[in-house]
Amino acid sequence: MSGETLIELEHVGVAFSATRSVGGGRYWALEDVSLRLKRGERLGVIGRNGAGKSTLLRVLAGILEPDRGRVRRGPVSCQLLSLALGFMPYLTGRDNAVLSGLMLGLRQREIVRRLPAIREFSELGDFFDEPIQSYSSGMVMRLAFSVAIQVEPDVMLIDEVLAVGDAEFQEKSGTALRERMRQGHTVVLVSHSEKEVTALCDRLLWIEHGRSVMEGDRDSVYEAYHQQLHLGEAAT
Amino acid sequence: MRQHVIELILFSTYAELRAERARNYLGIIWWVLEPAMMMGAFWLVFDVILKTGGPDNLAFLLTGLTMWQWMKSCITHGGYAIWSNLNLIRQARLPLIVFPLVQMLADTVKFFFIFLLLVVILWLLGHPPNKAWAALPVIFVAIFLFAAGGGFILAAIVPFVPDVRFVIEQVLTVVMFLSGVVFALTNMPEHVHAVMQWNPVAGLVDATRGVVMYGRWPDWTALAKVAGVSALVLALGIAMIVRLTPRYPKLAA
Repeated sequence: MSGETLIELEHVGVAFSATRSVGGGRYWALEDVSLRLKRGERLGVIGRNGAGKSTLLRVLAGILEPDRGRVRRGPVSCQLLSLALGFMPYLTGRDNAVLSGLMLGLRQREIVRRLPAIREFSELGDFFDEPIQSYSSGMVMRLAFSVAIQVEPDVMLIDEVLAVGDAEFQEKSGTALRERMRQGHTVVLVSHSEKEVTALCDRLLWIEHGRSVMEGDRDSVYEAYHQQLHLGEAAT
Repeated sequence: MRQHVIELILFSTYAELRAERARNYLGIIWWVLEPAMMMGAFWLVFDVILKTGGPDNLAFLLTGLTMWQWMKSCITHGGYAIWSNLNLIRQARLPLIVFPLVQMLADTVKFFFIFLLLVVILWLLGHPPNKAWAALPVIFVAIFLFAAGGGFILAAIVPFVPDVRFVIEQVLTVVMFLSGVVFALTNMPEHVHAVMQWNPVAGLVDATRGVVMYGRWPDWTALAKVAGVSALVLALGIAMIVRLTPRYPKLAA
């Protein structure tokens, strides 16, 4: 099965409304990005802030449709690992786990079956049955991560969520996510941490100002990326 | 897929009601207390002070307001639902009709609590349940179709033009007064009365009053017409939302 193309983007562009007012224009968050994602591949997306990385992930997730170019998608489930999706402050941790799990595409009985694991992983103890408005922000993130890690789509889309909570939980959540990624899932990872990307991805896509600059194996793309950064620094 | 969406709708409705209950000190009591207070205010103004009605005015007023509040809350809450969830819509791929539908279902659950209170009050006022009550489920379905039709159309439009919210409240207030919710339309000039015959809200509120106050069976043809047109409007609203789905996550924050 390896090598089968799951998603293919050809010169994809995405435009957002710039303002709410009448006659407001559009801006192109993605201008021209092409990529081919194969089964079992772990693709890292790199580029500076505002390059369009998060927009690209949302195109891959099927949340955004391209305004130009083409997206070809096999019959696979793609899920963006959004943390705290749909969380409501007045609901208990347990209810929020079910709600968020449903929004992440899980069936209710699957979530209910995994509730003990979610409670365990989040280390919330009796707080699990308290409204999350009584939680600290760290506790909310622990719950959010514990729910998100339960989702097992064909293609996992991860946007900078490798480290949440305090140092200890960061370690634990990072380990769990890396474990999940190594299980042979197809993964697209957006991260600013070169260490993470190097450790987890075998291929890289480099985008800048909404355009693909380079796609290829990890080392050659990083080499070109660094060269460009140095050139930029030298020029200024 | 379809079962998953049904689970999402039902659990979200439960979550909505649950959160609302937890939000206030008195919790669930407000579901009934708030409309009861509003009814009290209308009763004070129109019945006690202005003396607009004759006998049965209290039953007339309470029934009208109960039904109208249900319609209005479905239309406004459902109408604002996509707009107020745009942040979530930017993060997840979900069928968007879930959002208005959840609000309408939550409002409908609350309506049933209020209706139970109305039943008790009507009984105390000398209007016990009668055989024609068997028609109530049909009237309720027609009302829900009507309110959902309006709610879905608004839900499709409001995210693009959030400003219409300011207009909606005022329009609904006018509709309420022109629909015989608070005072009978028979007091109106003949030509206005003729136009009002075409007002679906007036027809639906009247049908309910006929049943609960006078044991009168509804005009089935009129009811079928309202339900039929409402179903068409509802289908149009859903089609608009489905069609516009790719555009909502791209709207400016």
